[in-house]
Amino acid sequence: MSSQAYLLLTLVFYTAGAVHVLVHALTRRRLLGSVALTATLIGFALNTAGLSQRWTEAGRFPAVGLHDGASFLAWAIVLVFLATYVRTRVDALGLVVYPVVFGLMLVAGLTRPSEAVDPVLRSLFLPIHTTLALFGYAALFVACAMGILYLMQERELKSRTPRAFYYLLPSLERCDTLAARIVVVGFGFLTFAIVTGILWNDNARGRYWTGDPKEWSATLAWVIYVALLTARWRSGWGGRRGAYLGIAGFVAVAFAWAWMALVSGVAVASR
Amino acid sequence: MIVVVGLSHHTAPLPVREAMAFSQEKLPEALEKLRAEAGLDEAVILSTCNRVEIYGRGKNAGIADAVARFLAEYHGRPTSELLPHLYRLEGEDAVRHAFRVAASLDSMVLGEPQILGQGKAAYEAAAAATALGSVLNALRNRSVAAAKRARSETGIGHNAVSISFVAVELAKKIFGELRDRNVLLVGAGKMSELAARHLVRAGARASVLGGRRFERASELAAALGGRAAPFEALREELARAEIVISGTGAPGTVVERADVEAAQVARRHRPLFLIDIAVPRDIDPAAAKVPGVFLYDLDDLKAVADANLRERRKEAAAAEAIVEREIAEFMSWRKSLEVVPLLVELRQRGEEIRRHELEKARARLGSLTPEQEKAIDGLTSSIVNKILHPPTVHLKEIASNGHAPEHVGFIRKLLGL
Repeated sequence: MSSQAYLLLTLVFYTAGAVHVLVHALTRRRLLGSVALTATLIGFALNTAGLSQRWTEAGRFPAVGLHDGASFLAWAIVLVFLATYVRTRVDALGLVVYPVVFGLMLVAGLTRPSEAVDPVLRSLFLPIHTTLALFGYAALFVACAMGILYLMQERELKSRTPRAFYYLLPSLERCDTLAARIVVVGFGFLTFAIVTGILWNDNARGRYWTGDPKEWSATLAWVIYVALLTARWRSGWGGRRGAYLGIAGFVAVAFAWAWMALVSGVAVASR
Repeated sequence: MIVVVGLSHHTAPLPVREAMAFSQEKLPEALEKLRAEAGLDEAVILSTCNRVEIYGRGKNAGIADAVARFLAEYHGRPTSELLPHLYRLEGEDAVRHAFRVAASLDSMVLGEPQILGQGKAAYEAAAAATALGSVLNALRNRSVAAAKRARSETGIGHNAVSISFVAVELAKKIFGELRDRNVLLVGAGKMSELAARHLVRAGARASVLGGRRFERASELAAALGGRAAPFEALREELARAEIVISGTGAPGTVVERADVEAAQVARRHRPLFLIDIAVPRDIDPAAAKVPGVFLYDLDDLKAVADANLRERRKEAAAAEAIVEREIAEFMSWRKSLEVVPLLVELRQRGEEIRRHELEKARARLGSLTPEQEKAIDGLTSSIVNKILHPPTVHLKEIASNGHAPEHVGFIRKLLGL
């Protein structure tokens, strides 16, 4: 089967999962029942198959351009989400994760794969750097999602009138603790991604820094996360401010991904 | 025939329910009188603060009215006075009522857990007084099983609907685990104590801030396994606490916004849950605006309890569906029992005929070897069984579909029974 066929099937299953979660949220039933999870797992298997098929078709690691970038990122997010869910059973994460995964796969489905053949892409750096980066983005996205859940629950509790989210969301403490832990994981991946990116720059272009907006964005994100982790550790920051910083950091990270996907096509600008 | 006769908070005000209540000690004697006067084979009396009900089983017609009369006479009231408040249910309606009551679908607070225990105790008391027979015993078993299914498979019992449990639920929504969290009581009132007890039971540590009467605070602190502190230590104690329950009788505010702000700065703006159950309120409402502070007064707690009750009501439809399915199975089982005598007679008749013909045949055949005896015995049994099998199966089927009464008479005639 062609990678495009796999992709469309993946989209079908991720959509099924997303619709299921949405309907259950509206009817206050358990958010992640076996139907949603099965659909997700099947979708993930198809996603994996599609990516590996794409690898064969393109002759290189499938992480260049919007099409590949979107489906690979969706894959990484689903993987991180499933790993988090297995450990923590926080159903409510689905509320934020599923729409984004659906959106990414839709984008992948609607775009053509990039035909970039820059010799730089033959390097081993491509799979290493992009995998580290994408897992970093995925983990930081899930951490950002937990921060969003925190803010939603905090608003419900402050308002003193329980509405849907009061019943669906975990406790503030849980949201906060999980966000903190996942940020550490994401930050680790991000650090290694930046380091390998710098080394790749040197390897391919002879200099460590090219001033590409993506590099600026990733560095800014890194600094924000350092600030977040320090503030949590030293001053006991958490809760609302932690959530805002997590969202800000992720916005920077998302910009880096978007720049890669839409403009420069690779970690290293092909100029 | 199963009957249910009684009154509940739906049909009678408290004074009437009080007058009709049965005391636990007098139950055996009451059950005996009931069975004698109303002609019941089996009886159960359920008497709680919200309902007094009698479940009975008897063969005569009019037992429902007899039970109603018994209820009135036992408590020395004229029947006419009692009748407007009574419900008298028979057959499937009675069974449905029994099942719904056990599943807490008829309770004042939907989903309350006490009624199941109270129901089981009533059946136990009847069993001890030898008033419980096979039918009401089956009713107990099936209704209890249905109630457990309803409670475990739906959310009718979830979410707190009383003020003190709401406070605990909110604390859990904010702090997750309550173990080792610090609870500060300002004032030593009854309501504060109740909520604090729930929290302490969940693992929290309590401190009590004394007011005018420090001894009361010390006593309460000791009872909760915590410590007491003088009122002047308010800001320090606020800084140390995560949950604060304030219920003093003071005429004005006791905890000002400035106190809360100071505490939050010391606590680095971590979440602080303030519960104000005093009327007039103890805590300055403006304190709610301080970052990290969640301030709930009595109205707010009540609003959460009401919202939770609405959630429970949404689950009620699913619970009713489960209970209906269990009721249908119970009724089906009851109906299948109606053909049991007929089936027994059928078998007996078949066996009679078989023996009779066997004797006649033996007389004609003369002496037989043991193998031949066995063979003939087996042959005749087999024939009788094969002939009776389809009628037996179909009769049971007809019975569980509820058509037995019409057919039994006809079938008897057909089979010459």
